[in-house]
Amino acid sequence: MNQFVLMQGSAEELSLFPHILELGVVKNSYVQLNALPKAVMTGVKFLYILDGKFHWHIHNSEYTLFPGDVALILPGQEFGSSSAVLEIGSFSFLHINADLKGTDEIILDKWSSLSGNEIIAISKILLLSNPLVITKLNEAGKILKSIQQELCNQEVGYYARVNNYIDELFILLTRQLTRQNNPGRDFHKTFMKLDEALRKDISHQWTVDEMAALAGLGNTLFNEKVKSYTGFTPLNYLINIRISEAIRLLKKPHISITDIALDTGFYSSQHFSTTFKKLTGFTPGEFRKNNSFTE
Amino acid sequence: MKCIITIELGTNAVRIFAFDLNGIAIGSMKGYYPTFHTQPDYSEQDPEQIFITMLYVLKNLLNEKIHPKKYKVASVCFSSSMHSTLAVDKHGIPLGNAYTWADNRAKKEAIEIKESSIADAMYNCTGTPLHPMSPMLKIAWMKNNDQQKFQQAGKFLSIKSYVVHQLTGEYMIDYSLACASGMLNINTIAWEQEALHFAGITADKLPQLVPVFATAGTLKKAYQNSLGLSADTKILIGSSDGCLATLGAGIWNSDKATITIEDSSAVRVVGNKMLHDEKKRIFNYLITENCFVSGGPSNSGGGTFEWFAKQFGDFATAYDLESCMNSLLQEATKVPIGSGGLLFLPYLLGERAPIWNPDARGMFFGINIKHERQHFIRAVIEGILYEIYSIGKMLAEHRHISALSVNGSFATIPFCAQMIADMFNKPVHITKNSNSVSFGAFLLAATEMGIFKSLDEAAAQIEIADSYTPGENHHHTYMKYYGIFESLSNKLGDEFARIAELQ
Repeated sequence: MNQFVLMQGSAEELSLFPHILELGVVKNSYVQLNALPKAVMTGVKFLYILDGKFHWHIHNSEYTLFPGDVALILPGQEFGSSSAVLEIGSFSFLHINADLKGTDEIILDKWSSLSGNEIIAISKILLLSNPLVITKLNEAGKILKSIQQELCNQEVGYYARVNNYIDELFILLTRQLTRQNNPGRDFHKTFMKLDEALRKDISHQWTVDEMAALAGLGNTLFNEKVKSYTGFTPLNYLINIRISEAIRLLKKPHISITDIALDTGFYSSQHFSTTFKKLTGFTPGEFRKNNSFTE
Repeated sequence: MKCIITIELGTNAVRIFAFDLNGIAIGSMKGYYPTFHTQPDYSEQDPEQIFITMLYVLKNLLNEKIHPKKYKVASVCFSSSMHSTLAVDKHGIPLGNAYTWADNRAKKEAIEIKESSIADAMYNCTGTPLHPMSPMLKIAWMKNNDQQKFQQAGKFLSIKSYVVHQLTGEYMIDYSLACASGMLNINTIAWEQEALHFAGITADKLPQLVPVFATAGTLKKAYQNSLGLSADTKILIGSSDGCLATLGAGIWNSDKATITIEDSSAVRVVGNKMLHDEKKRIFNYLITENCFVSGGPSNSGGGTFEWFAKQFGDFATAYDLESCMNSLLQEATKVPIGSGGLLFLPYLLGERAPIWNPDARGMFFGINIKHERQHFIRAVIEGILYEIYSIGKMLAEHRHISALSVNGSFATIPFCAQMIADMFNKPVHITKNSNSVSFGAFLLAATEMGIFKSLDEAAAQIEIADSYTPGENHHHTYMKYYGIFESLSNKLGDEFARIAELQ
C-alpha cells in the first residue's frame, strides 16, 4: 500500500463524512526527529501497524507495537513518542471526530448505527480498559483498508458502508479487548475486575449488557456464571454492593438520604427506601436513627 | 415442624443451610463477597457487605424454602472462618474493613513475639501458634502502624461478632473462636493479660466470652419482621468453621483424625487435653470445657492444584476450569506412585503447619529428561498430599491415629482420597454430608436443643458414605519419596528467605 493521507477540508472524498478528520497510510523509511511529540488527542484515533516496530506513549504508559497490533486513542488521552521520534515502519490510521459526554461516554453522531445503550457499553469498556493496545488483530487492518477503498472507489452504497465499517471497528476492538483482558480460564479474576469497576462507579445505572460486556461474555453465559459464582443474579449482586455502601453512608450523619440514594445508584430515594426496607426491615431513616450518635 | 438454620461466614461466601430435626438438609443457598488485596500481605473484607449478603441470602432461603412449607425456625447457629479482626468505634460502627485470616501484615509483630522471652509461656497458655494470622498480632500492628484507628476503636471484633451484633445488639464471642484470636488463656478460659498487653488493649475492648451453646441475645424487632422469624428463635453463637468441620466429620473424642482440603487445608484431632508441642506448631481450640480441637493448617490444597490447572491446563478442549482439572486428574492416573521421582513442594503461599514459614516457596525437584507433562500433574497432587501427611505425622507424635475422616472438595476426589489412604497407610472414610461445617453447626444446635445428650453422642450420628483402604506396599513406596520431600522442606530455610526477599 502506498503512502497517502485524506484530510477533512482538503480531500474531496471526505465531503460527505464530516466526522472523519483524517485517514491514510504513513510509510516512514528513515528516523524523523521531532516528528511525533506527545500530544493530547481530540477525537478518536485508530492506528494499525503494517510494518516495523514503534515505541509509543499512550495514555500514561509506554508500549511497543509490532505489525498486526492496533492502538486506540480516546479523547483526552495522550499519544506520541516519548522522544518525539517517528521510527521506521508503516501504519494505517483513522482519526474521527468524537467527544466525551461527562467522563464515561463517547459521543458518536448520527452517522453511527450503534444504539444508545451499545454506545454506552462500548464507551465504558474502552475507557476502563488499559492498555488500549490490542495485539495481532489483522481484521482491524482489513477494515481500515476497506474504508480507504470504499472512499476511493465511491461505488453505490459507499456512504453506508464506510460508516458501517467504522461501527464495525468499534465493535471489533471492544470485543477483542474484553477477551484479551478476561482470559476464560479464570472467572475469579474476571469477576474481581468487574467488582472493582462496579464499585468505582456505583452511582452509574449499570445494565446487565454493560456488565456482561465488561466480563467479555454473552448475556446468557454471564448470568449463569455470575449466578453460580456468587449465588446472585448480576443485578442482585449489584444491589448488595449498593446497599453495603448505603449503610456505610447512613452511619455518617451529614449526608442526606436522597444524596445517598443517588450516590449509590438508585433511581430515587423512593426506590432506595423500598429496596433497603425489603432487605433490612428498616427504612433508611429508621436505620439512620438507630445508628446515629450525637457526640 | 421445626427446623434449624446454620449460617457459615466463610472465606469467600456465606453458606446458609436449613436442616429438619433429623439432620436432613431441606435447603441451602450461598452468597459471595469479595476479598480485597490492596497491598501485598493485605487481605480485607467489607463487614457491611458481608452482613448485607448474609441477610439477603437468609431472607431468600426463608422465603423460598422455609416459610412456604410452614417450618418453624427453632434456632439459627453461626460459624465463621477464624482469625478475622475488625475494629469498630464506641458505637459499633466499623473503622474500615476487616482483616481476614489470610492477612499477613503483622509479620514483624509475629517475629518480635516469637523471639521474645514470653513466646513459650504464650503458646502454653493460649495453645495457638504465633503467626501473623493471629488477631492479637493484627491489633498490635494497628497499634504500631495505624494509631488513629487504634485510638478510635471501641472494640476489636471478629466478623462473626460484628454480624451477630447487627442482628441482636450483643457483643459476644465463643470460646473456640476466641482461641483463634491468640488472646484466650485456654486453661483459665479468660482473656490472657500478657496477650492483651502485647496487643496494647484491655479486656473491655473485646467481646464477651461465652460457651459455644450460648444464646447471643434476641433478634431485633425489625429483623424479626423482615425475616418472618419470631422472638423466640434462638440465635446461637456457635463456633468456628474448623471446629465445626471436625464435629461434622464425626471424629469427636476418638482416635481418628479429620482431613479437610478445600482451597487450603487442615488436619485435626479432638481430645480432652491440649497438645503441648515443643516446637509450638499445633493449634488447640477449646470447644467446651475439657474438649479441644487440635491440629495444623496448611496454605496449600485445592487452590494449589487450581493454580496449576490455570497455568498449564489444556483449555483448547476444556470449556471451563472444572473440566480442565478433571482431565488433568485423568492424566495423573497414568503415572505410577512417586511420579517417576519428580517431587513438588506446594508452598506457593508460604506455609503454616508444620514448618510455619511464610517465606517458603514452591518447587519441582528431581526433573529428568524422561519426565512428561503427566508426571508434573501427578507430582503436584502428591506434593499437596505429602504436605497433609507431614501435618498428620506431626499430630501422630502426640496422639495415636487409627483412621481418617476426609472432607472438602479436593480431598474427596476419589483419586485423592485413595492417595491419602495409601500415604497414611490407614483407612479413609468420607461422610455422607458433604458440607461438614454446616452439618457440624446443625449437630451443635441440635445438642443445645437436647436432641443429643452431648457433642460425643451427636458426632456418633455421622454416617459414612464411602471408604478407601490402603493398597498393599503403597505406603512404603510413598515414604521413600516423602523422606526427600520432608528434608527439602526443612533444608531450604535460608534459600526460601532469600528468594522471598526478591519477589
